[in-house]
Amino acid sequence: MASNVAIKVEGLSKQYILNKAGVSKSDTLYGSMMSGLRNIKNIATKKEREEFWALNDVSFDINQGDRVGIIGRNGAGKSTLLKILSRITPPTAGKIEYYGRMASLLEVGTGFHGDLTGRENIYLNGSILGMSKQEIDKKFDEIVAFSEIEKFLDTPVKRYSSGMYVRLAFAVAAHLDSDILIVDEVLAVGDAAFQKKCLGKMNDISSNEGRTILFVSHQMNTLQALCNKGMVLHKGQVSLNVSSADVAIKHYMQLANQVARSAVADRIDRVGEGKIKVTNISFFHSAQATEELITGQHIEIHVSYECKANYVGNHVNVALAIYGDDGVLYTVLNSENTGMTYQSVNGNGIFICTINKLPLMEGSYFINVSITESGITQDWVQEAVFVNVIAGDFYGTGKINPSSHKSILIENSWSKK
Amino acid sequence: MNKEKIVIDSGLSSFFSLSEILKYKSLLNNLAKRDFIVRYKQAFAGIMWALIKPLISILVFGYISSKINSAESTALNFLYVASAMLLWQLFSSVFNDVSNSIVSNANLFSKVYFPKIIIPLSTILVCLVDFLISLIILIVLFIVSGQVVHWQIVLAPLFVVLTVINGLGLGLYFATINVKFRDIKFIVPVVLQFGMYVSPVIFNTRYYLDRLPEWLHWLFCLNPMVGAIDGFKYCLFGGEAIYNWTYFVLSIVVSFIFLFIGIKYFYKFERSFVDYI
Repeated sequence: MASNVAIKVEGLSKQYILNKAGVSKSDTLYGSMMSGLRNIKNIATKKEREEFWALNDVSFDINQGDRVGIIGRNGAGKSTLLKILSRITPPTAGKIEYYGRMASLLEVGTGFHGDLTGRENIYLNGSILGMSKQEIDKKFDEIVAFSEIEKFLDTPVKRYSSGMYVRLAFAVAAHLDSDILIVDEVLAVGDAAFQKKCLGKMNDISSNEGRTILFVSHQMNTLQALCNKGMVLHKGQVSLNVSSADVAIKHYMQLANQVARSAVADRIDRVGEGKIKVTNISFFHSAQATEELITGQHIEIHVSYECKANYVGNHVNVALAIYGDDGVLYTVLNSENTGMTYQSVNGNGIFICTINKLPLMEGSYFINVSITESGITQDWVQEAVFVNVIAGDFYGTGKINPSSHKSILIENSWSKK
Repeated sequence: MNKEKIVIDSGLSSFFSLSEILKYKSLLNNLAKRDFIVRYKQAFAGIMWALIKPLISILVFGYISSKINSAESTALNFLYVASAMLLWQLFSSVFNDVSNSIVSNANLFSKVYFPKIIIPLSTILVCLVDFLISLIILIVLFIVSGQVVHWQIVLAPLFVVLTVINGLGLGLYFATINVKFRDIKFIVPVVLQFGMYVSPVIFNTRYYLDRLPEWLHWLFCLNPMVGAIDGFKYCLFGGEAIYNWTYFVLSIVVSFIFLFIGIKYFYKFERSFVDYI
């Protein structure tokens, strides 16, 4: 039935112009005038610019009452899609039609101000999300009860713990009366019990009240728990149209595997004799492949390798060098230094590096991989894999080092004599 | 289906819509409330700053004015300067704050949709509250000097509105440019500093025009604050505040042209602010 469609997206595209030299020269009036002059002199500035299609001809329909998970790798266009759907940025081409009121939760606590009290922030945040004063008045007690911050209602939120902050922020959004709710991985924060509560609330919203939910998350188990439908985006295009959640997750995993493997195995800019080659690098957390790591998490780095026929390697050493996205070397994980040199390596297999508590702070990292045998480099791939680390609770105290002091975290304890 | 149908397309410019602003009335109030609370929070003198700041300027420039312009009594000089200075400070805070409002609230509209005009409008509310508080100075001066109040005083709010229109029109234009070129935050204070000396703040329009060559008169009056300040003084003191009605009307026309350009320019780029911020 046609009237059952809640959101109709047709031929949606979004183009960004990237300036190759990082920061655009025309970001200052002077620079702009100078580039204007250069244009007059007919020295092409076009070369410095690169078009980038974040979304390219995306079309899909979403039915009313569906909870749809939008899945995709970083850069697949998920965030751009959500931004266009929530009317934050206009599309370059295409059209979206939807019925009723749409609320987007791309960030928890948008507009929260540290100097304002919890009560004041509920009204501010509620009105930013489009609620009227009467609506907030009506829902106020429910919001407070849901967020469990009664006692701190008149305390400035800058004194809140991050958990309280997130609870309050989500509580406001969850009580917004909207026909369509857009949620962007905000559930990655907050403790497990509260996450469960949020998922329950979202389930409630869609099944009991017939509201439509669009949800983006990297956590497949969360997606599985919440969504009944899923769609996969890849490189700005629809790779799998709205299907059942299980099918979508399976499709995504295949896609992710494919991309990651081809990335390392197909690299030609590698150094070494090549008798052993790295074919893939992947990250595992509690036996599940993961794309994004969390600070403090127990992780395994799986380095898949492949040997030339009849080759047997002895005294094989594997090293992973971790660089920040600014090129700073953070650490080198060297199997030999931990007392592990691999003997009689042949065929194919996986070297596993286990990190009990990931000491990397929030940010993006490159990993260089090298395999040497008796001191001779067999394979060396620079920037073999790129990984994002999300802020996590390394010390188990709920406190997180400020990301402005990006460094390696070290276990330590304090006492007094 | 009786729900409102919303269409998002690739059209870049949007249009001023009063009904949409009214729908976001509570956001307007809450943003203004936030700015007001935050502005004076953790300041010992708190809201007193809304009085202290204009009071200092009035004392300094009132003194200078009464020393130089001996044609009027000292009390009247102070009253003239006070009334003009309060209006000028309203203009300068609206102009400056509106220019910066879009950039400094980028974190809001890059996460949630709402009509962006709400941000500068809420900024204006805060400036108006400060202005109303600072009016105490003028009232006290009136009482102390025993100055008679004219019937035209009922028209005074019109010129307060005209002042806000001046600040808003220029502010919206500069706020839009500010999204891409952050030079604005350095330019606006310079414009304001210079502007005060070519507006009838320290001296009356008559004082300036008597000393300027004829051909510069119309240029002086293209300044939209000439109309607002002269009009305001006319409401408070009556008589000769308005030097020349043609120039006066010209200045007011300029105000509305600025407002029109400001709004038009703002709405032309409003939808794509996020991509440039």
